[in-house]
This record gives sequence, structure tokens and C-alpha cells, in this order.
Amino acid sequence: MSNEVMTKEKVDMDPKYIIKLTVTLFVTCVIVAGALGLVNMVTKDKIAAINWENTQNAMKAVVADPDNTEFEATDVTDAMSAAATDAGATLDSAYAVKAGGQDAGYAIKVVASGSQGNIEMMVGVDADGVVTGVSIVKNAETSGIGSKVMENQNGVLDQFQGKSAADGTLVVGSNVDAISGATVSTKGVTTGVNAALAVAGAIG
Amino acid sequence: MNFKKQFKEGLLTQNPVLVQVLGMCSTMAITTSFMNGLGMGVSVLLILTASNVVISAIRKIVPDKIRIAMFIVVIAGFVTCVDLLLQAFLPSVASSLGVFIPLIVVNCIILGRAEAFSYKNGVGASLVDGICQGIGYTVVLLIMCVVRELLGAGTFGGGLLGPDGKGIQILPSQFPAGMLTLPVGGFLVLGCLIAAMQWALSRPKKNKEESK
Repeated sequence: MSNEVMTKEKVDMDPKYIIKLTVTLFVTCVIVAGALGLVNMVTKDKIAAINWENTQNAMKAVVADPDNTEFEATDVTDAMSAAATDAGATLDSAYAVKAGGQDAGYAIKVVASGSQGNIEMMVGVDADGVVTGVSIVKNAETSGIGSKVMENQNGVLDQFQGKSAADGTLVVGSNVDAISGATVSTKGVTTGVNAALAVAGAIG
Repeated sequence: MNFKKQFKEGLLTQNPVLVQVLGMCSTMAITTSFMNGLGMGVSVLLILTASNVVISAIRKIVPDKIRIAMFIVVIAGFVTCVDLLLQAFLPSVASSLGVFIPLIVVNCIILGRAEAFSYKNGVGASLVDGICQGIGYTVVLLIMCVVRELLGAGTFGGGLLGPDGKGIQILPSQFPAGMLTLPVGGFLVLGCLIAAMQWALSRPKKNKEESK
């Protein structure tokens, strides 16, 4: 019944009126899109520079010798993505680490789920497949609880240094210590580190 | 144009948060530190003012049937501009507000004012309305931020003042109730504020009735 009424109403509308509606909306969209294009042109490079600086800072935090290190973006292959997915996390990007011109492993950015959404983290892995550091890029963990893990309280992030694929899968409670009350957040980081080690294995 | 009346409406009698109860989602989510509240409040103020002016300027050529779609296009345009500008020039604010800046598109305050005010009034009045409602929103956000931050984390001015922009520690760190920085704390603080506001608004009426 209500459908019939709807159809009738549509037919009653003057075709000219429909065209007017369409044109008005279309023109508005074009104007707004043009304005956005202008703003984007002004801000694009700046945003890209800021993002790159943040990424670089995160990478510097996870390598042994930050001052003499350069980073080169590496292509993400299907094998690398699959390795991360198998370990329960998502590979975002990978960078080759060059210390004094020498290959010194990789900085791998992975995303794993924490207790309040995703945790983005950078994991440094040296040429021998040993973790050189973990730093959190972005998180939404509960302030005062999960944030303790993100802020590296009691060295919870430092404990991953020196771990490698030879230690087997890292598991909270057996070879990783959690912060009490923030087990889920610690597990999220552990999953990310496992995934990064798997990715490093898939590269080399 | 009655600036004084509109200002009083925006701040008190028609306050967007405390009386119209609009835009609750962002109010709950971001009022955990002073800088968050300030950044969000000012962003909304700018977007609201700009969209009010534009919508009131085009109100005569907007066909009635598609006005909501037109409003949303205009609002989304301004929100995206502010989002890009924040990311480029105030990256720390952009990262701490995160998704709540793009979400201003669907913030009821802006669409509400477009529909209720600027679609029916002139450009000048809409400009003033945008500024006044925006100030009303910002003030409430700041009050909530200060209360939640002080009682929840024991600091003042988080994101702006103090070492590492973490705020000045006022209460000793073992004292605060962390719960207040969680969403449940947002509901509690907002509930108290609305109650206080209703009490304050109903007082003059009661006095008049008694004197009669």
C-alpha cells in the first residue's frame, strides 16, 4: 500500500523539477570538491612530511644506533603480508635499516588489536632476526590501564629486545611478562612482535 | 539582529549541549584533556559559523526537497578543510582528536542549526548564531575537560601546559579516580552539568511565580 503511494508521488513530480534538483546538487558538489582540491594542494606535502617524520622517529626509537641509521622503504610482498596475517596481525609497511651504509635489518610497522581498538607499532629487527626495539606509533588503550603498556612502564616494551624467532612464539605468561590489569594490551603488543618476527623471516 | 539575545541563547538558555542536548558523542569522547576540548570546540565553532553563513546565503536557491543533502555537502566540505588544516598545522591536536574531527560532519549541532536557524534567517544573524552556539559548545566542553581531567588524572591543562604537554599535576597521582576519564565519567559529569543548568534556568521563573 505504502509502496503504491510512493510511486504515485514520484510520477506526480514535474520532470523539470527533478532536473533542477539534480543540477543544483551536482553543481554544489562540484564547487565543494573544487574547494577541497585547493585545500588539499596546500596541505598535502605538509601532511606527508609530518607523517614521514613521525614514522622516522618511531623507527629511530627501535634501532641500536639512531644517529647513523638511514631507512629505505621496502616493497611489501604477498609472502610478508601472509606471514603477518598468520601471526594474527596486519603488516602496514616495512623499511630496510642501513647503519653506516651496511644492511642492519628491518623496521617493520604492524597493526595488532589491543583492548580498545588497534595498536600500531614499529618493531626493529636486526640482520640476525633479533628484536632491537618496540615503539608504539598509535593506540587507543584505556588511559591509566592499557596506557601503562604503551608508555613502557616497568620496561614492558623493553623485554622484547633480544627476542628472536629462535625463542619460538612469544606468549604472555610464559616468556613475556604482562602488566597486571593490562594483559590484553600486552597480548596485543606480543602479537605484533610475533608478526614482525615472522615478516622479517619472510623477507630474508 | 539582536546580538545580546543570541549570545545569551547560545551560552545559556539554548546551550547546544546542556539544553538542546546535541552532539553528545564527541562531548563524551574527547573531553579528557584541556587541549582536546579547546581544539574540538574551536573546530566546531569555525565549521558551524562557516556552514551557517554559506547555508543562509544559498537558502533561497536550495530546493526544499534536497535541503538536507545540500547541508551535508556544505558541512562535509568545511569539515574536511578543517581536518586537513589541523593535520598540516596542528598535528598533535589532530592525532589526539583522531576520528572525531571527521565525525563533526554528522554532529547534530551543525545540522541542527542549519535546519533550525540559518535556513530561515539572514547571513548576518546566522553568522552571529554560529559564533554564539559555537562558544556555548566550547565553554561546556572546557568545563567538562577541566572537571574530568582534574578529578580523573589530577592534572590541569593537559596537551597544552606542563612537562611534555601532559598538564600541571595538581592532585597527587595516587588520588584521582581514573574512571572519570572513561566514558562513564563523561556521562556522570555531563549529567551533573545538565542538572545544574536546569536548576539555574528554572530559578528565575520560580521567583517570578512566587512574587505573583
